[in-house]
Amino acid sequence: MSENAGSRNPLQLRDQPETCRTADAEERSAWQRVIGRFADNCRARSLFVLHYCTGCGAIELPPTITSRFDMERVGVSPMVTPRQADILLITGYVALKTLKRVILSYEQMQAPKYVIGFGSCTINGGMYWNSYATIKQLDQYIPTDLFIAGCMPRPEAVQEVFLELMRMIDAGKANAWRDYYRNYDHYLANQQALFGPQWHTPTDIVAEAKHYGLMGPGTTGPHTRLLDQHAEWALDRIPEDYPERGENERSER
Amino acid sequence: MTLSLLAELIVMPLIAFVVGLALVLMMRRVRARIERRIGPPLLQPVYDIVKLYAKRTQVSHGIMHDLAIVMLLGGITTSVCFLPVPGLEGLARQGDLLTLVYLMMVPMLGLALGVGSCANPNGSIGISRALTAMLAYDVPFVFVVIGLAVAYGTTSLPEIIAHQQSGGIATWGAAEMPLLAIAGFIAMHAMLGKEPFEIYVAPAEIATGPMAEMSGKYMGALFVMQSFQLYTIGALYVTMFLGGGENWLTFLMKLFAVVFVSVALTNVYGRYKTDKVIRFMWTWPTGIALAGLALVMMH
Amino acid sequence: MSLLDILFLGALAVALAMALLGGTRPAGVIATLSYAALLAVLALMEPLLAQSNAAIASSVKFQIIGEEIGWSMNGLGWFFALITVAAALFASWFSSGQWGAVQYDMRRQHVLLAVNVFAMLVLLSSQDLLGLFIGWELVSWASFAMMTQRGGAAARAAYRYILYALAGAMAVLAAIVIIRAHAASFNFADARMAVAALPSATKWTVVALLTAGFGVKMGLLPFHLWQAPAYSETPGASSAFLNAISARMGLYALIVTLLQVIGTDVLTNLSVQFIWLDARDIIMWLAAVTMVVATFIALMQTDARLLLTWHGIGQGGYMLLGVLIASPLGTAGGLMHVMNYGIYQAALILSVASVMHRTGTSDLDRLGGLITRMPLSYVTMLMGIIGLAGLPPMNGFVSKWMIYKSLLEGREPLLLALAFVTTLGTILSVYKLIHNIFLGQLRQEHWEIREAPLSMTVPMLLLGAICFVTGAMPGLTLQLVDRAQAAIGVPLLAHHLGGVTLATGSLNMLWVVGTMLAMMGMGAVIFYLLGGRHRAVHQYDNYAGGHFLSADLRYHFSHEFYPGLARVIGPWYRGWIVRAEASLIRLSDIIGHAWRGSFDAGITPLYVMAALVAGLLWVRSAGGLP
Repeated sequence: MSENAGSRNPLQLRDQPETCRTADAEERSAWQRVIGRFADNCRARSLFVLHYCTGCGAIELPPTITSRFDMERVGVSPMVTPRQADILLITGYVALKTLKRVILSYEQMQAPKYVIGFGSCTINGGMYWNSYATIKQLDQYIPTDLFIAGCMPRPEAVQEVFLELMRMIDAGKANAWRDYYRNYDHYLANQQALFGPQWHTPTDIVAEAKHYGLMGPGTTGPHTRLLDQHAEWALDRIPEDYPERGENERSER
Repeated sequence: MTLSLLAELIVMPLIAFVVGLALVLMMRRVRARIERRIGPPLLQPVYDIVKLYAKRTQVSHGIMHDLAIVMLLGGITTSVCFLPVPGLEGLARQGDLLTLVYLMMVPMLGLALGVGSCANPNGSIGISRALTAMLAYDVPFVFVVIGLAVAYGTTSLPEIIAHQQSGGIATWGAAEMPLLAIAGFIAMHAMLGKEPFEIYVAPAEIATGPMAEMSGKYMGALFVMQSFQLYTIGALYVTMFLGGGENWLTFLMKLFAVVFVSVALTNVYGRYKTDKVIRFMWTWPTGIALAGLALVMMH
Repeated sequence: MSLLDILFLGALAVALAMALLGGTRPAGVIATLSYAALLAVLALMEPLLAQSNAAIASSVKFQIIGEEIGWSMNGLGWFFALITVAAALFASWFSSGQWGAVQYDMRRQHVLLAVNVFAMLVLLSSQDLLGLFIGWELVSWASFAMMTQRGGAAARAAYRYILYALAGAMAVLAAIVIIRAHAASFNFADARMAVAALPSATKWTVVALLTAGFGVKMGLLPFHLWQAPAYSETPGASSAFLNAISARMGLYALIVTLLQVIGTDVLTNLSVQFIWLDARDIIMWLAAVTMVVATFIALMQTDARLLLTWHGIGQGGYMLLGVLIASPLGTAGGLMHVMNYGIYQAALILSVASVMHRTGTSDLDRLGGLITRMPLSYVTMLMGIIGLAGLPPMNGFVSKWMIYKSLLEGREPLLLALAFVTTLGTILSVYKLIHNIFLGQLRQEHWEIREAPLSMTVPMLLLGAICFVTGAMPGLTLQLVDRAQAAIGVPLLAHHLGGVTLATGSLNMLWVVGTMLAMMGMGAVIFYLLGGRHRAVHQYDNYAGGHFLSADLRYHFSHEFYPGLARVIGPWYRGWIVRAEASLIRLSDIIGHAWRGSFDAGITPLYVMAALVAGLLWVRSAGGLP
C-alpha cells in the first residue's frame, strides 16, 4: 500500500523546498514581493496551533506553553478550532478513525497552514508499527512540513521544531500546504486506499484550488473524479442553485 | 472647520487602534507575568493581525458573513468618533452618552448576525450567551449612566468632562460618586468579556463561541475589534469617572491604569456560569448602582 | 363638502368597492390605489391644518339630547389617520398579488380592512365625548370582525378581546356619563372645565375608568392578555394593519381624554398619600411595567407572530410614557414612536407573513437558514429589528432616544431604567427572531424554497427603506408630529432635519448615520481590498469538533435560545405572571360562560344597542336634560 502510493522522504521537503514551488502571479512585481516578504515575516511570528492530541504526546505540550518554556515569547499560542489555526500539531499515533478527523480538520484549516508530526508514531508508526488500526506515515495522507522524532520528544524538541518552522516560513519555504492542492489526487488516492472509494470530506479541495489559483498538475485525476460521484456537495443533496456554489462559479470566470 | 473635523474622524480611529493594540499587548503581558511567563514580544498584536489578513484562503459562509464584518468594523470605529479625547472632540456634540451607549451595541449586532450566518451552533450559543451577558451587565450600567446624567444634568460628553475637570481630582466622577464608580467599574469589566464573565468565549465549552468559524481576515477583524473595544470601554470609563484627559499624557495614564486593573483582576478568576453572571450582575453591582443613584437623587 | 367628507366617503367607497369586487384579481391593486388616493386627500389637508391649526370639519351632523354631534379632524387625528391609511395601503399592496390569490377569503379581508379604516377615521375625527364613544365602538367591532374572520384560535382570542372591549366601553361610557353630568355638554372644552372642578374622588374615578377602558385596546397591564393571540392569528396583511395601528387607537383616545379633557395638571395634582405618586405617575408606571412584562413575555415566545405582537404591547408603553411626560420632547418622542413603530412593525409582520407564505410555519423552532433562500425578506426583517430594538441608524432609535431624554429631563430615573431594560430585552428577542428564521442551518425541507414574489417584497422593502430614511432624517417625521403636538396644545419641539439640538446633549442623526456609512465603507475597503480572497462554502463545511456534518444531522441551535437567562427569570414566569394570567383567563371564562347563552341566540348587536340606549337614558336622567 505504502509503496505504490509513492511515499516521500519526510526530510525531502526540508531539503529541497523549491521543487514544489512556482512563483505566484501576485509575487511578480517588486512591490508585491515586498508585501509578500512582510507577510511571511509576520506569519512566522504569529503561529496559532491546533493541538490534535491523539496519544500520549499531549503531556509534553503544557510545559511548552506554560511558564517553564513559554512559547508565547515567540508568538506561538494555542487555538481552539481549525479555522483559526495555522499549525496542526499531531501528537502521537493516528488510528484510522482518527485519521478521518485529522484530514477533516486539516482541510478546514486555512492556508498557509503547516503540519507538524510529533513523535515516532507519525513518522513510521513507532511502537504501533504492526497495528492493523493505525497508519504508519502521516505524510502520505496530509502534507507534513516537519516531524519531531523521538518517543517521546521533550519540550525542548517541540520548541526547536517551532523555531525551525518559523525560519522556514520566514524564508518562504514552508510550502507543504501548496503540495496538498497541487497533488491532491495523490493524497486522495492514499486516503481512498484506506477508506474506500466513497471517502470524502465536507471540503471541496479542487474547487478551492481553482478559486485561489492553486491548481497543479496533480490536483485532479482519477481519484478526484470519484468524489463527484460520492461527495455530498457534488450530489443533488445540496441543490444546484445553492447560492454559495453559484458564487464560486462566478469568481472562476 | 469641516476639514479639521474630517481630519479628526480619520485620526480618532487611528489613535484608538494604536492605543488599543498597546492595550492588547499589555493585557497579554500582564497575564503572562501573573502566570510567571515572559509574554509576547512588543509587536505581537500587529503580527497577529497582519498574519490573519495575509491568509491565502479564507472561509466565508455567505454574503451576510462578509457584511457583518464590515458592519462590525464600521460600528466600532463610529463609536470611537463620538468619544471625545484630549484635543479631539470629533462628533461628540452631534450625539451624546445615550447615543454612544447604543452605538456600542451596533458592532455587537454585526458580530451576532455574522456568527449566525455561519450556521455553527457553537457560535449561536456564544451569541446567546453574549447577549445574555449584555442584559446582565447593562442593568447596573444603565443605573450608572442615569446617575451620571442626573448628577451632571446633561448627557453631553464634552460637558461631562468639562464639569469633572473644573476642580481637579475633587470633582472627578469617581470622587463625587464613588458608589456609581464602583458599580460602573464592575459593569465595564463585564463588558470586556474577560473572566469571570467570559461565558461567551468559553474555549473549553463552546470552542470560542462566536469565533469558531472565523478564519483569516474575519478573525483579523475580531482582533481589531478587541483592541478597539479595550480602548473604547476604558476611555468611556475614564470619561465618565476619571475626569477625561486634560492632555494625552494623563489620558493615556488613566486609560492604561483602568484597563490594567481590569485585566489584572481577570487572571485571578475562573469562569462563572451564565445564570451566575446574571445573578451576580443583578445583585451586587446593581445594588451598589441603585444606592449611588439614590445618593445622587438626594442632592 | 370638506376634505374630511371626501375622506369619509372615500373610505366608504373603498369598502363598497371591495364588497363588490373584492373577490376579483385586480381587487388588491384597486384597494392599494384607493388608499393612495386617501393618502393624497390627507396630504391636501396638511396645509390647512398647518395654517390655522384648526380642525377640518365634516358636514355630517346630528342632534341628540339637545346637542349637536359632529365630526372634525384636528392635527392629532390627522397624524394617526396618516399612519392608518398608510398601513392599509401597504397591507393591501402586500395582498395584491400572489399572497391574496392563495387566501380563500380575500374579499372579506379587503372589506374588513376598508371598514376598519373607515371606523378609525371616524374615531380620529371625533370632536366631543359622544363622538369619541361612537368611534370607539365602531373600531372595537370592526377589529373584532377582522380578528375573528378565520375562526379557530383567533376567534377564541377575539372573543376574549370583545369581552374586554365591551367591559372597557362600559367603563368609558360611565366616565363620559359622569363628565356629562357635571359639564352638561359633550364638548371637550366644557368637559375640561367641569373635570377641573370635580371633587378629587370623582376625578380619580373618571381617570381610572378612562385609563382602564381605553387601556384595554392598548393592551395596558393588566388587560394585555387578549392582544397577542388575537393579532397573531389574523392573516398576514390584516395582522400587519392591526399590529401597526389598531392598538394605537387606544393611545389616541387616551391622549384625547387624559391630555385634552382632563389635562396633565389635574393628573399631577391627584396625588396618593405616602407613596409620593400622583395619577400621572401611576399611569406612567403602569405603562412602564406593561413595557417590561410584555417584552419579557415576548422573549420567551417560540412563534414569530406571537413574539412580534407581544412586542407591540410593550412598545405601546413607550409611547404612553413619552406622551404623559407632556414636555415638548416627550410628546414628540411618544407620537413619533407611534409612526416609527407602525412602519417597522408592519415591515416585520409582512416579512414573517412572506416566510409563512413560503414555508407554511412561523414556529421559530422549525425554521432556520432562510437567508440564502429569501434574502429580501431577510433584509426587511433586519431593518425592522434594528428599528424595533431601537439601535442606530433606524428610526426606532430616534424616538426612543427622545423618550429617554424626556424621562431624564422629567427626573424619572427609575422609569428610564425600565425603558432601558425593555430595550435590552427587545434586543435579545429580536436577535432570536432573526436568527431562528434566517440564520443558522437551512433545513433540508426548505432547500427548494424561493423568495416571495415582488408584489410582497416591494412593499416590505419600501417599509424598511422608510424606516431607514426616517431614521437618518428624523426631521421628516418630526414635521408631521408638529401638527399633532399643536393640536394637543403642547409647545412645538424645535428640530431640524437631522434631529434636535438641546443644551443637555443633542442628537444629529445625519452625522450619526453619515459617519456610520462612511466608516462601514472604510470597513468594506479594509475587508475586501486589504484582506485576501475568500471563498463561500456550503453549510456542512463547518467546525464540529472533527465530526462529519451531513444533511441528515441537524446542526443548529434554536430551541430555548437563552437557557442561562431562562434559568434565572424562568421561575418568575412560572410564578406570579403565569398564575395571574391563568386566573384572569379563568375569570373571563366565567364571565364568558355566563354570557354565552345569550350570544348563541345571535342577537348580539341588539344587546349592544340596548346597552347603548340604557347608557344614553342614564345620561339623560343624570344630566337632568330634556
